[in-house]
Amino acid sequence: MEQLIILVAVLPLISAVLIQLFDGHLGRSTARLSVAITTLSFLLSAVLLVMSLTGSESLSLQLGNSSVILLFDPLGTLLATIILGISLIVHLYSVRYMAEEAAYGQFFVLLDLMTAALLFMVVAGDLITLVIAWYLVGVLLYFLLGQDTRSQIAYRFAFWTLITYRIGDLPLILAAALLFNAYDTWSLSIIFNEITTNPDAHQFLGFSLTDVVAALVGLAAIARSAQFLLHTWLPYTMDGPTPVSALMHAGIVNAGGFLINRFAPVFVNSGDVLNMLFVVGLLTAIMGSLLMLTQNDIKKALGYSTMGQMGFMIMECGIGAFSLAIYHMFAHGVFKGTMFLSAGGVINNARDNDGIPKDELYTFAVEKQPNKVRKPWILMVAITLAVPLVILVLAHLLIAEDYFQKQGAVILLFFGWVTGAQLIFATYRMRTQNIWRMVGLSVLSLVVVVLGYVFISHAFDLFLYPDPAFRAQLYTAASIDILRFDVLVVITTLIIVSGWVVTYYSEQAGYRRQKNKHLWLNFYALISREFYVTDIYTRLTRLILSVSGRLNVWLRWL
Amino acid sequence: MPDLMIILLAAIFLPLFPLSMVFNALFDKLKYAWLRVLVLIAWPLIGVLIVVKSNSSFPEWIPEWVIPLALSTSLLYSLRLLTLRDVNQWSGFLATSLWALLWLPLVQGASVNLLVWFAIGMSLPLVLLVLLSAFLEKRFGAAYTGLYGGLARTVPRFTAILITVIAAAVATPLFPTFFILFDMVVETLSIMPLAAMVLLVIWLLLSWAGALLVQGLIVGRESKVKVADFNYATIGLFSIALLALMISGIYTGMVIL
Repeated sequence: MEQLIILVAVLPLISAVLIQLFDGHLGRSTARLSVAITTLSFLLSAVLLVMSLTGSESLSLQLGNSSVILLFDPLGTLLATIILGISLIVHLYSVRYMAEEAAYGQFFVLLDLMTAALLFMVVAGDLITLVIAWYLVGVLLYFLLGQDTRSQIAYRFAFWTLITYRIGDLPLILAAALLFNAYDTWSLSIIFNEITTNPDAHQFLGFSLTDVVAALVGLAAIARSAQFLLHTWLPYTMDGPTPVSALMHAGIVNAGGFLINRFAPVFVNSGDVLNMLFVVGLLTAIMGSLLMLTQNDIKKALGYSTMGQMGFMIMECGIGAFSLAIYHMFAHGVFKGTMFLSAGGVINNARDNDGIPKDELYTFAVEKQPNKVRKPWILMVAITLAVPLVILVLAHLLIAEDYFQKQGAVILLFFGWVTGAQLIFATYRMRTQNIWRMVGLSVLSLVVVVLGYVFISHAFDLFLYPDPAFRAQLYTAASIDILRFDVLVVITTLIIVSGWVVTYYSEQAGYRRQKNKHLWLNFYALISREFYVTDIYTRLTRLILSVSGRLNVWLRWL
Repeated sequence: MPDLMIILLAAIFLPLFPLSMVFNALFDKLKYAWLRVLVLIAWPLIGVLIVVKSNSSFPEWIPEWVIPLALSTSLLYSLRLLTLRDVNQWSGFLATSLWALLWLPLVQGASVNLLVWFAIGMSLPLVLLVLLSAFLEKRFGAAYTGLYGGLARTVPRFTAILITVIAAAVATPLFPTFFILFDMVVETLSIMPLAAMVLLVIWLLLSWAGALLVQGLIVGRESKVKVADFNYATIGLFSIALLALMISGIYTGMVIL
């Protein structure tokens, strides 16, 4: 078994070394070698996952007398298999896609090293391995994004990624140092056991050490998962090769969710930090979605879409739904990876035939021509508000009766309700002859999605956090005062419903007759400049470089 | 010798601003790569030996103001690295920034063996960089970023080595400098939290400077002037050196962490 664990982690490294050594002799066969080894590693990790699913104990392996520990617990095993699965698809895609590139072999070396770094990150059972893998992911991504060494633009934005990732490395290094100083070990299991036994045993600068570590780990996750104000690298790194974009959006950017899950025993004792994560995630989800809607460049829109999804993922962690964040990470990874990898084929097909049917859906979604007046609207409002709620409540009652006692669960239901209501409301506004058929189909699809989501997320919950008491603790830690919670829910509901009403009436009155046209134009300008975040960072960078240059001149370059 | 005199002397070899300018002025004057290599190896060792051996009450005799000055010096030179384009000067400034940090383990009373290894571990990647710089000077007449660019297309084998050496120099895992800086953060955090924060900012600036150096040299279209790339023997030698550096880095990590 020990050999199996080592093999899974080390195989991609072996592949990278072999390709580097024999690139000149193997030529284009390097890709086949890389694919074969990745396939083998994927199959072995799948075996470990099956063993874990069938109830095997977590496997932990210490390498010699070193501090390096490989931990194949449910989280590590599941993510290792997902990473290797996505990496295998990216490998297969790259075999032909990258065939014309000069540094073909070099690309597979980097891809294998990246796979290895990601693997070591998710199975790290000690802080040193975790920090090293976390750090190396950023460095390797920089070179993968800069695969085209002729492109200054590609390197410019690869640098944005690198520097943001390095900013995210620093809090994790600090957290590791603090934990080591307090517990005198690098082993995550020992540290987590100690924290579970006595969470308030140590202090740092007058604060609880658990809170400080949770905040630092949260910061590292925020930087890695492109949360608002540290997001600018994500939409701009589209000059890298498509397989790298797929790997980045499907896997690497999700690392923040993984890190928070890994440190769950710390976060369960740091409710305030979870609340902070919720706010950051919510803000990112709103900003990402808003910016996505205003982009006219499809690739940047995809980048902002990922940012919004990452916001949701961090938000899920913030409400205590840790395993849901992992499910979200997996589902979004598959979805976004497919989009990137199929983009080339879609563009190619569109050259011959755009394939867009000029039907009601096209008129509604692309030409944005909704039906202005439709009756009976009162009945429709009732259906819009009630049906999603009933579906969600019934689906969740199937898995746990006490589900609604948890604030986090209520927030998730709330978002599910808003999304479902938005879907039915949008369907109702479509230009179609048989509106009830359309609404019926929407409700049916909503039922399928909700049931699928509820059962799969529940399965993730049972697999990743089998202890029901710990699951309950996570939700409790993320809870806030009940009165404040209720007030927030009511205010948010009012805002959203008011938005729908305003949208409905403004469409009836016609968009062009808005009273506050200048206000909207200014708002649009603000969004189209992406809230000036990139401009501020560019100014700041120039300022630092200018100070550096002036210092060199004043000190005569000595 | 009075303590202040020792400190002043040591501040030349374990650079403290403004005496750090002495090293950089000297390093700039050296025209031969082997001389630069010699200086890079010997300079910090002399500094360490001066501090450790000159007073029997080591480390208590070292005044407290040394730490802020050492951190400021390191921060100053890491900031100034961002706008340097000459690879040799860059190596000198990076050496200054890193060696100034040796005052942290010195004040904490680290063992002489460890201090010597820290000094050598910090200098070895710079030694390799100076040798690579000599290659550039020989082929292109100058080792300067943004001057010719496109090395990745023109001399790909050389570029692979160059990138790895720069990564090693700016404390990327798994090279010794990474573990040395990591250890410094761990050791400093509990006694001087602010110093540990400054250390992290310095580390960030080093990464930034390293990325700018890489971009300035390797990115761009292929040079129209044909230049010979590294031959396989040279590649082999550098690869062995880097592998040894990485193994020593991992060993450092296992020993000190």
